[in-house]
Amino acid sequence: MLVPAAVLVLVILGAIAVDFSVAFLGQRELTSAAAAAANDASTAIAEERFYRSGAGDAGDVVIDGGRAARVVDQALAARAPRGVTIDGVSVDPSGGQVCVVLRGRVDYVFAKAVPGMADGAVVQGRSTATAVTGAAGSPVEPRPAC
Amino acid sequence: MRAVGPRRDEAGQVGGVEGAIFGVLVFVFGTLVVVNAWAVVDAKLAAGSAAREATRSYVEARSASEAGTSAQRAAEEAIRGHGRQVERLGLRSVDGRFARCARVTLEATYRVPLLAVPVLGRRGAGFTVAARHSEVVDPYRSGLAGEASCGA
Repeated sequence: MLVPAAVLVLVILGAIAVDFSVAFLGQRELTSAAAAAANDASTAIAEERFYRSGAGDAGDVVIDGGRAARVVDQALAARAPRGVTIDGVSVDPSGGQVCVVLRGRVDYVFAKAVPGMADGAVVQGRSTATAVTGAAGSPVEPRPAC
Repeated sequence: MRAVGPRRDEAGQVGGVEGAIFGVLVFVFGTLVVVNAWAVVDAKLAAGSAAREATRSYVEARSASEAGTSAQRAAEEAIRGHGRQVERLGLRSVDGRFARCARVTLEATYRVPLLAVPVLGRRGAGFTVAARHSEVVDPYRSGLAGEASCGA
């Protein structure tokens, strides 16, 4: 009885390890995708406000919400995150900062074969990027939450 | 007169002991195989890190001629930082070029042995994990020709 029980425990532990690893990788993938998308979206500044102060002077650095959303879509399409299905994208610009929140779903490999167990996990990635001016950038207080 | 019961030999006992010994061996090496699966996860993270650092180095390079070398160097540093072998790293450009507003996508690959267990060593041809990262060359950066009109 010892060996069958040990093998059964081994198989179950292995299945749990694989499923949790898949969820962990999906969460990491989503976080990286959010960071890349936010970084790209921070270049989508409202140009008319930036250039309005005339030649030589930089105007306000304000993220254009519409452009930022388009840039985020392009970034996600180019990156094509694997192993996670993105079902929610939130782009929240505020001044020179933009916050990108991605929500997605990761399907388990083994747990779905067990009745009553969840067949997947919901994961979320969030990142904030700030557009700064000057060669070294200017210090900007990060937003506490988005 | 005392009754004598049937004589018991040790055949069953020996079989059980063998089963326990080999069972424990199977359990230990099986556990090592399962733990080895984490190496794949770790390699995936390392490849993701390499792709990210390479792409950032590429888009922030000072010139087009420097971009490719800078990306390769950044990817190798990232892989070394994860304690991995640079020889197993591959880096390729999926899309993009070094120009203002251009979206650059790089893919890093890393070859993982199928099985690496103590005593048994590395087995199998292995398989490749890949990670991709994409970034836009800053539209407002200096040192590049052209206008910042990518968002129009």
